[in-house]
Amino acid sequence: MLAPDTARRFLPSVDRLESAMHAARRAFDQGDTDGALGQLGVALKLKPEYDAAWILKGHVLQKAGELEAALDSFMQSLKCNGDSKEGWMGLASVLHGLGRLKEEAEAYDRLLAFDPRSLEAWIDKGAVLHELEDYPAAILCYEEVLALRPEFATAWNNKGAALLRLGREAEAARCFEEALRLDPDCVDAMANRTYLCEKQGYHGEAILWADRALRIREAPGLWYAKGRAHLGLLESTLAIRSFDRALALDSTLKEAKAELRRAKAMRGKSDFYRGAYECFGTHLAGDPGCEECEIRPRCREVTP
Amino acid sequence: MSVPSAAEVEHADWPTLQRMCGSLGLNPKGRSGVVRMRVLEHLRRRGRPEPWRAGRDHMAALLTRLGFPDLSEDLWESAIRLDAPAPWVGLGQAQVAGGFLSEAVKSFDRAAQMGDASSLLHRAEALGAGGDYDRAIAACESYLASHPGDLRALGMKADFLVRSGFKEEAGRVLRAAADFHPEFPFLRPAAGTAFLKAGRPEVAVDSFGPSTRADATGIEGALNRGAALLVLGRTREAIDIFQKALETDPDRAEALNNLGVAHLQMGERQAAASNLARAAKLVDSPQIRLNLAKVPKAAPRDKAKKPAARKKEKP
Repeated sequence: MLAPDTARRFLPSVDRLESAMHAARRAFDQGDTDGALGQLGVALKLKPEYDAAWILKGHVLQKAGELEAALDSFMQSLKCNGDSKEGWMGLASVLHGLGRLKEEAEAYDRLLAFDPRSLEAWIDKGAVLHELEDYPAAILCYEEVLALRPEFATAWNNKGAALLRLGREAEAARCFEEALRLDPDCVDAMANRTYLCEKQGYHGEAILWADRALRIREAPGLWYAKGRAHLGLLESTLAIRSFDRALALDSTLKEAKAELRRAKAMRGKSDFYRGAYECFGTHLAGDPGCEECEIRPRCREVTP
Repeated sequence: MSVPSAAEVEHADWPTLQRMCGSLGLNPKGRSGVVRMRVLEHLRRRGRPEPWRAGRDHMAALLTRLGFPDLSEDLWESAIRLDAPAPWVGLGQAQVAGGFLSEAVKSFDRAAQMGDASSLLHRAEALGAGGDYDRAIAACESYLASHPGDLRALGMKADFLVRSGFKEEAGRVLRAAADFHPEFPFLRPAAGTAFLKAGRPEVAVDSFGPSTRADATGIEGALNRGAALLVLGRTREAIDIFQKALETDPDRAEALNNLGVAHLQMGERQAAASNLARAAKLVDSPQIRLNLAKVPKAAPRDKAKKPAARKKEKP
């Protein structure tokens, strides 16, 4: 006859296991990390090879910032069930947090080996390859996603970003355009379009897109890019405002500090203001709006 | 006009697009592609209204009023858009509250350039706060060029004129305001008072009008009208006005003082002394005490002659 404790471990009550898992999930949702870990301890005592419990424990530990312990939990879950998509995704996420990017990419490969239609895995693999500066491989990942779901705006945006890194600006522009057509609020595509326009010297277009992106989400880099574009159009006050805002969000931005000094110095010499013309710097010959424009001569001067 | 569909916007020609902007309250200026994008964005957001929550602009406006202009300034800066003048006005107000008056003037200029005429008045306020009354008056005049009868602008202009020493001009502006707005009875007395302060009592009396009410609401004007008449030497009329004012408010120290002075001018020493003494009891004012001191004292009564001591008759 088995000892009472052993009997509880190897002949668990399904009800008790379920209630411990539910309690752990509830505690995790409420932000009670210790409570969740306590309940998961109970569940894993009842069923030590329970992959769902190990996965949840991994998420709890990851949230608590204990990445090494979270990594162990996800690995335990995969020992229990090597085909767990959630286990591999969790493992990859922790590896990303630990900066072990190559291993993260391998984790996606393992997942894609048994589930080649996982959009999440392809997208994340593309993102990690982008971080590893393997842009051609990243583009292939995004193309896999787009083959499965051509309306996936994020994939278009990410592909555009990788193409931009490779200097294939025309193709990148088409990707951003497609991303924005599919999701007009895709703020990352707006930001990327800003960087692309700024890189091409289209300051007016850059400001237009930066403004739209900043209405949805603020980012110091974007304010910085906007400031540089304003400087390009000799709009010192607007440039100062943008650099000030960038520095308010991230006071360590050295480039913004330097550009702010430049803008302040420029303000004494030139400080154009566009008034109601959001499109300043994007003159288009023959356009009816441009024909009526009151600041047309100046716009023509600064439009590339 | 009904709200256009996205397809209609996509295919609208330039005049139609302009009409759409007009009816939707959007900025119609700019390259046609940008204007089209603006209308489409507006329609897209309009189609899925989000539950209200305080935006950056709401919070910034509150922060200015709560006395945190620097925080407000930061928020306004993040709310600035190239197609809306309102954040520039908000930024300017925060800068005024923070004491950065020249920056505030620039911000208001931006808003004015974007077609927000009211920002000219904010500009005037900022300039006035910095003591630059000439430019403040000029800003009011720019605004009045497009809004000739605007009471706020006329009032501000008059105030800046008074502060810069042009009281008579201020009186004229207030009289113009009174002509534009006969529904506001306080404007004529205000104009009259300005003329009186400018040393033009004859114009002041005209401005007050023939019958300034001496009731509770118009008592101030009535007293000033009485003062103007007093200065002009029409003392009896002035006395009538002060007496009517005192019927409404018997404890009005200015009325008692003015009445005392009027009686003094008429040579009615006793009446002057009693009114001024009552005024001095009500308000401890050096001016009233001075007026009281000017009342000549009553001439000393002749001493009663003592009967001469009877000389003892010699026996």
